[in-house]
Amino acid sequence: MDVPKTVATALGDRPVAGKRCLEAGAGAGNATAGLLANGAERVYAVTTDREHARTTRRRVGDGGDGGGDTDGDGNGDSDGDNGAVGDRLAVLEADLRSVPLADYSVDLITAHGLCNVLEPATLSAIAEEFARVAAPGAHLVVDDYDPLPDGAAVRGLFAVENAASELSLGRPALTFYPAAFLRRFFAGHGWEFERERTLLEPVPWTESHVSAHADRAVSMAAEGPEETGDALAAEARRLASEIGSESTGRMYGLAFRLPD
Amino acid sequence: METRPLGDTGHESTVMTFGAIALNWLEQEGANQLVEHVLDYGVNHFDVAPEYGDAELKLGPKLRQHREEIFLGCKTQERTYEGAWRKLERSLNRLGVDKIDLYQVHGLEYDEELDSITGDDGALAAFREAKEQGLIDHIGLTSHGDPGLILDALDRVDDLNSVMFPLNPVVAGKDGDEYDYEAVLARAEEKDVGTLGIKAFAGGSWPPTDELPEADRPFANWYRPVTAPDEIRERFDFAAARGLTSVISAGDPKLVTMILEAAAEYDGMEEAAQRSLIERVRHDDSPVPEQLHH
Repeated sequence: MDVPKTVATALGDRPVAGKRCLEAGAGAGNATAGLLANGAERVYAVTTDREHARTTRRRVGDGGDGGGDTDGDGNGDSDGDNGAVGDRLAVLEADLRSVPLADYSVDLITAHGLCNVLEPATLSAIAEEFARVAAPGAHLVVDDYDPLPDGAAVRGLFAVENAASELSLGRPALTFYPAAFLRRFFAGHGWEFERERTLLEPVPWTESHVSAHADRAVSMAAEGPEETGDALAAEARRLASEIGSESTGRMYGLAFRLPD
Repeated sequence: METRPLGDTGHESTVMTFGAIALNWLEQEGANQLVEHVLDYGVNHFDVAPEYGDAELKLGPKLRQHREEIFLGCKTQERTYEGAWRKLERSLNRLGVDKIDLYQVHGLEYDEELDSITGDDGALAAFREAKEQGLIDHIGLTSHGDPGLILDALDRVDDLNSVMFPLNPVVAGKDGDEYDYEAVLARAEEKDVGTLGIKAFAGGSWPPTDELPEADRPFANWYRPVTAPDEIRERFDFAAARGLTSVISAGDPKLVTMILEAAAEYDGMEEAAQRSLIERVRHDDSPVPEQLHH
């Protein structure tokens, strides 16, 4: 599996080789792939989403369900020269608010595109867990998106997605935290800030991203009150087809370290 | 237009090289006009090959008229001493010039070919003699193939002045060694060898010929090109910002002016923007390193 350049850039100046790592919010396993490619001793890829867990095992792991490969590049493993991935990767289906790992047990934590799917209360609970499982001197990598600029078309779609989520789950689907906000927030949990860099500018919201967000809005809208839900679903579909794709906004990478 | 040193040749190449294959698709008058048009933008590096149909012949008149303004690259697919001499003489005749500034081994693909060209009876022996006789000034190599092979060539041929290879964001987003043209770029820079980028504008492969016959393709390119001005500009900026000496224009004359405009306006591309482009296209397919020029 190809490691996205955003991940490679975010990890490029971090000590990964030989470290015990936690990928918080495994998604498609991109950061996990980057950690393994950089020689991590062990990666715990944690997600509550069964589909994400499966995807990560399939794309990054060398066991899984037959070594298939969603990239279609015929290159289903990425274990490089660092030994079998199977020995080094554990995909855990668990809630990040109670990570099934011991105190002080990880040397590096990545939250790659995680915070934007957490509302403040959850973000806060997860930050406490990070502080608990991190060993003294551990590193934290937080990659996320600045709030989208005024006039960005995708803002409208995310607004609909948030409205549908508020109606069905009582919380927003997406929260875009400014880099300066997360920097101060994690500093408040004891992490010393080391650097910020721009990973993507502009951020490519490709057609598949846009339609995935629209699908999510539609499925959450279906849980809401019928008339409002239908209207939100229709609006999400309309916006997705109108937007197509858009490149806008900024993805940033923050790096922190716990004092020894 | 920005210029950059072509390795240690002493020549400053414009950041865009005109791929003269575009002339093959035009009548002589149109070819003359296109060459004048390209020169108007300040482009000083041209690249041609005997495999590009009539391009050598059609380049000839304007090349001779503007010989001092044009750094001329040409190439041969011959791998033997005799063959390379024959093709060089033929190209000199067809172009109607006394000298080719950069003569290149064209389209190296296999290890055996590298053995052949470097052997006693190989093409490079002919290149070196031609250089002594003043028929060529510099030696180069081109490949659409395995980056590892180009790296080997850089190590084994110590009088190489330039290498030509694919570079675009689709390929840059892939991890395998077979896509690692960035390593070629780095090694060439280390050795002060000029770098010429092809396939910068590749949008993907063409559909199979039973679905879309070659004659019905809307562009005369080996690959399916990107075609919108902003995409062309983005692709140009990306290739130039990666550090190539020069980016070669696409083969279809319809695309040349957009590429000239992009080259004339080039003023760098931030790394975050390069990554944005890679991220946007990283699930696309790529005609690299597929072999396409046979």
